[in-house]
Amino acid sequence: MHRDRALALTRLECAELENVFALLLVGSFIGFPAPPSFIALELMPLMEKELAIFGRRAYDSKDMLGELLGVMGVD
Amino acid sequence: MRVIFFAGKGGVGKSTIAAASAWQLASEFRVRLVSLDPAHNLGDIFRRQVGKGGVWLSDHLLVEEVDLKERTKVYLDREMSLLKETYSYLQVLDLDRYFSLLQYSPGIEEYCLLLAMEESIRSSEKFDYVMFDTPPTGLTLRFLALPSITLSWIERLVVIRRRILEKRETISKISRVAGEVEYREDGIMRRLVELKERHEKMLKLLNSENCGVVLVFNPDPLSVKEAMRLLEGLKTIGLRVNLCLQNKVRAEDGEIAQRTEKEITPYVPEGTKFFRVKWENGISQDTNYPLYELKTDLITPLLASGERS
Repeated sequence: MHRDRALALTRLECAELENVFALLLVGSFIGFPAPPSFIALELMPLMEKELAIFGRRAYDSKDMLGELLGVMGVD
Repeated sequence: MRVIFFAGKGGVGKSTIAAASAWQLASEFRVRLVSLDPAHNLGDIFRRQVGKGGVWLSDHLLVEEVDLKERTKVYLDREMSLLKETYSYLQVLDLDRYFSLLQYSPGIEEYCLLLAMEESIRSSEKFDYVMFDTPPTGLTLRFLALPSITLSWIERLVVIRRRILEKRETISKISRVAGEVEYREDGIMRRLVELKERHEKMLKLLNSENCGVVLVFNPDPLSVKEAMRLLEGLKTIGLRVNLCLQNKVRAEDGEIAQRTEKEITPYVPEGTKFFRVKWENGISQDTNYPLYELKTDLITPLLASGERS
């Protein structure tokens, strides 16, 4: 039980970091300062997973609180 | 091997000075002269078709013109085919159109310039001098600043990436579920490290003693102002200026030439050499005058300014 929760929490943290990583690379789309575009270009072929998370996070963003509570085990 | 950049405002005569220097140096050394300026005129100066792969003007002198448009296209085509493999399901989105726009994306031109410069230097083991005729000031400063900007971005990305990998490892350790992938080999991290090493190498070269700028300007206020801006930019980048060369100085310009040098002096490190190239009448009158055959001896100031092989 505890192990499951620790796992879920770490997974969430990891997904969050992956989201941030993708956001840093393609942030120029939403007005973030962006790295030289060729860095993004060179990493993009390897970033399918991160981009998928990135997209999902954007989609889920209206229910962030729900997700957080879910991870913390609050019903 | 030594690397020299010829920089200055458009029209001051950087290409001509670069060509003349290369021509003169080639009597003693093996010289490669590369034009990075999208508006090439080395071919016009030497009155030869340069074309792909460059042209040998003597046993010791290779002249090349980098085709930036072609290079950008080749680079983007390669990246595009890689991306298409990964994101083939996105083809409905018309990736081609997106990529044709990418060539206008800020930074791509600079990056391709940097790649061209890197390639020229890397393949120049057999040369004593690699000389670059540079594009307009703004573009030159941006592409020369690229390695250090890139490095600071990569460093940040590496920190985040490392944390992601640590988390992934923790997850796979806790779960130990079949099917959970172990993330020891991470493609993104490997790519980041590759990029980092490449840019570190470039930065080290640009900041080394073997690399320097010959600043070209005229006794006129506009080119001097631009020279100052260029010098400030170069200081930030960490590139050393080896020689300040005042070109097109007419006989009656003595006073102005002196004032100009005085204005520039505060912007260069103490001991930086100044040199004047006199206006040669023949150039403007005779259309068949070989522009690269300047009467002024350029070897002496170049060697004296620390460009000794």
